[in-house]
Amino acid sequence: MTALAEQDVALIDLLDRLLGGGVVIFGDITLAAADVDLVYVGLRALVASVATATEKGVLPELGSAL
Amino acid sequence: MIELYAITSHPGPPLPDVAPLREIERDRLSAVIAHIDEEPVATADRLWHHERVVEALMQSRNLLPVRYGTCLPDEDAVAGALDRRREELITALEFVRGAVEVSVRVFGQGSEDQRDASDRNRSGADYLREKARRGHERARAVSAVHEPLRALARADAERPATLDRELLRSAFLVDRPRVATFSRLVAALQASHPGLQLLCTGPWPPYSFAQR
Repeated sequence: MTALAEQDVALIDLLDRLLGGGVVIFGDITLAAADVDLVYVGLRALVASVATATEKGVLPELGSAL
Repeated sequence: MIELYAITSHPGPPLPDVAPLREIERDRLSAVIAHIDEEPVATADRLWHHERVVEALMQSRNLLPVRYGTCLPDEDAVAGALDRRREELITALEFVRGAVEVSVRVFGQGSEDQRDASDRNRSGADYLREKARRGHERARAVSAVHEPLRALARADAERPATLDRELLRSAFLVDRPRVATFSRLVAALQASHPGLQLLCTGPWPPYSFAQR
């Protein structure tokens, strides 16, 4: 593994927490009408390419892509 | 539509000026919310913005962060959700009171086999050997890093380690006055285990300890 930039390191921790943690008020989550787990998996799959994406200042809009 | 940020105790200090926030209060609980026009999307910018709001709240309050993307149609629905989950939320809020979350991830060095894996056809035996080696490496990381840190924490949790060479993905609930000590121990453990790479971030709101 090449060294991850600090921001990418924190982004992985951020995804784990905001999308995989926190209080879940069952049945009340609407994340761009997509299933949260799907978004979570999609974002995590992108983590490997995040270094490039954040350099460009653009992260694909997964909410609308799913 | 309403986006939820956090559940907190009521009454509390004034809301921070980082976003147009409102508080919906029910008895001793309140939800910190914002009225929004569009459903939240999962982009890095939006997630960081959400995080900044919750961290600003965390400066002056004990809170339970709400999972990103939680929206309700109106304030009555928020009050209803607080009513339905009241006991559970109060218990969870008490559990995290006065503490923050710290993330610690541990990476190993990997093996020669692993580094060459991409351009080689590997046999089943190679695979099993590699799997066993990773298992041992992970167990060593648990006793070298996770266990000593756990001794300083109120609670601990693990998530699956999914990155290459990642052995351990841990979260610790740490009393606020103990964060500096915790951080010094992370540095000391890194110094005494040069074969491991420790990545520590935080303090985070207690996302990994919000559901009891």
